[in-house]
Amino acid sequence: MSDFLTIQNATRRFGGLVAVDDVTTRVDHGQLVGLIGPNGAGKTTLFNLISGFTPLSSGDVHFKGTRLNGMKPNRIARLGIGRTFQNLRVFPNMTVFDNVSVGAFGTHPQSALDALRSGSKRAETISERVWQALERTELAYVATDLAANLSYGKRKYLEIARALAMQPDFLILDEPAAGLNDSETLELANFIRSLHADGLTIMLVEHDMGLVMSVCERIVVLASGKKIADADPDTVRADPAVLEAYLGTDE
Amino acid sequence: MIDPYYLQQLVIGLSLGMTYALMAIGFTLIFGVLNVVNFAHGEVYTIGAFASLVLITAVAPPFVAVVVFALAIGALAGFSLERIAFKPFRRFTDEASLKSRAMREATLLSSLAVSIIAREAIELLFGSQQQAVPFEYLINQPIHLGPVIIVTGDLIIFGISALMLIGLQFLLTRTHVGLSIRAVSNNPLGARYVGINVDRTIIMTFVIGGMMGAAAGILVGLYYGVIFPAMGFIPGVKAFVAMVMGGLSSIPGAVICAIILGLSESVAVTFISSGWADMVAYGFLIVTLIFFPQGLFGARRERV
Repeated sequence: MSDFLTIQNATRRFGGLVAVDDVTTRVDHGQLVGLIGPNGAGKTTLFNLISGFTPLSSGDVHFKGTRLNGMKPNRIARLGIGRTFQNLRVFPNMTVFDNVSVGAFGTHPQSALDALRSGSKRAETISERVWQALERTELAYVATDLAANLSYGKRKYLEIARALAMQPDFLILDEPAAGLNDSETLELANFIRSLHADGLTIMLVEHDMGLVMSVCERIVVLASGKKIADADPDTVRADPAVLEAYLGTDE
Repeated sequence: MIDPYYLQQLVIGLSLGMTYALMAIGFTLIFGVLNVVNFAHGEVYTIGAFASLVLITAVAPPFVAVVVFALAIGALAGFSLERIAFKPFRRFTDEASLKSRAMREATLLSSLAVSIIAREAIELLFGSQQQAVPFEYLINQPIHLGPVIIVTGDLIIFGISALMLIGLQFLLTRTHVGLSIRAVSNNPLGARYVGINVDRTIIMTFVIGGMMGAAAGILVGLYYGVIFPAMGFIPGVKAFVAMVMGGLSSIPGAVICAIILGLSESVAVTFISSGWADMVAYGFLIVTLIFFPQGLFGARRERV
C-alpha cells in the first residue's frame, strides 16, 4: 500500500458533544492540504487526533501503514509527524540552538558517550541538522539568543525549525498565521510553499482563508465536526454548503 | 592579616555549602520538570548514608567504592520514589489533567508519606540512635596549610561535589538526556510533540537528583561520623531554602545560594552558639520571600 495518511470514520466525543463526527479523509504523499472550518468546527480536535494528543472515540488513523490509535505523542513524532502549535510551545529559557537541538535529538537520540566523543558522527549529524533547520528558517543569526527574547513572529519560525530538525515526512501547522500581520502572513505563505517545493507533505489548519486559498492544492472543510467539502480551492470557494457554514442561511 | 580561624571556617562553610548544593540540585531539577516540591528528598540523603554504612560494615570496601555504591543506591532510591509517590498521579496525559493543580499537588502529600514511611522503616531496622561509623572511614584527618588547619573531608567533599556539578553541567547542556530535562521543564507538551518521552525524562530527573542526594548523605555522614534516621531533615530544609533563594528553577542560582548558606552558617557560629546557626537559613528564607519573591537569581517565569 502506498497510503500516506488515512483517516477513517474518525469520531471524538467529549461527553455529549461530538467534536469530530465520522470524518473520513486522506492525505497523499507530497500534498499540501488545508483544513478549514468556522470556530468550533473541530479542526484542532481532528489535528489532535492525528498527533496523538487526544484519543479517538472510534475510527482509525493510519500513517504509512502504522495504526496511530492509542499511540503516545512522542511515538507518533518519531514516526515522522512534526507539528507546531497555535499558542506557541517553544522552550523559553533555552537558546534557539538548543530548542532546535531538542527536535533533532528527539527523533535521533544520542547517548552521553556520543557527546563525549566530540568527533562522533552522530553528534555531527545532529548539529548539522540543527544548522540546516536554522538556516532554512533564517534564524541562524540568533542561534545563541534565548527563545524568550525572540519576537512573536520569530518564535513561530523557531517552532517550525524545531519541527524541521525532526526531519518529518509530514508536517502539521496549527494556525501559523494567527497573530501575524498581512506582510508577515505573505512571507509565511512563501515559506510554506518553499517547504512544499522541497517535497515535504504539509497539512495546514488555518483560520486565514486568504492564506489557505493561495497556498493549498486541496482543502478539507469541517463544520460542526462533520466533513462538508473536500476539493481544490476553486471548487470549495463555490460550494454552497461551505458558504452556508461560514455565512449562515436565511431562515 | 586575617585570623586563620576565619579562613578555616570559610573552608568548612564551603564544603558544607557544597553538600547543600548537591541536595538543592535534586530539589530544583524535580521542581523544574514537575512543578512540585519533593518532600522525600531528605530521606534519599538518609538512605544513601545508611546503605553505605551497611556496605562499610559488611565488606569494608575502599572509599571510592563506597561513593560509587552511594550513587547507585541514590539512583535506585530516586527511581523508586518516582514510581511510588509521583507516577500514580500522572495517569492521565490530557491537557486538563496536566494543568490540574490538585493532581500535581497530591504528590506533596504522597512524597511526604513516603518520607515518613522511609524514616520510620530505617528507625525500626537500625534504631533511632546514632550509628557508629568505623574510625578508618572517617574523613577528618587534619591537614596543615600554613596556619590553617582543615581536614581531608573538606577537600574530598569539595572535590567530589565539584566533579558532580561539572558532570551535571555537561549532562544538561550537551547530552540528549539533559536537553530533554530542560525541554520538559520549559514546556512538557512541546517536548512531547518533538518526540521526547516525558515519562522517561521524569524518571531520569529523579535518578540524577537521587544520586546527588545520596552522595551528599554519605559524605556528610563520614565527615561528622554521625549517621541517624532523621539526619536528612535539616539538610532537606537547607536545600529547600537554597532552591527558593535561587529562584525555584535556576540550578546556578540554587548552587550559589547553597554555598552562601553554608558559608554564612559556618561564619555565624563564631558569633552565635551553634544551636542558633540553623536560624541563619530560616532568616535568609524570610528575607528572600519578603524582598525577593522571585528569588535572587530567578528569571521572571514565563507562561507561553
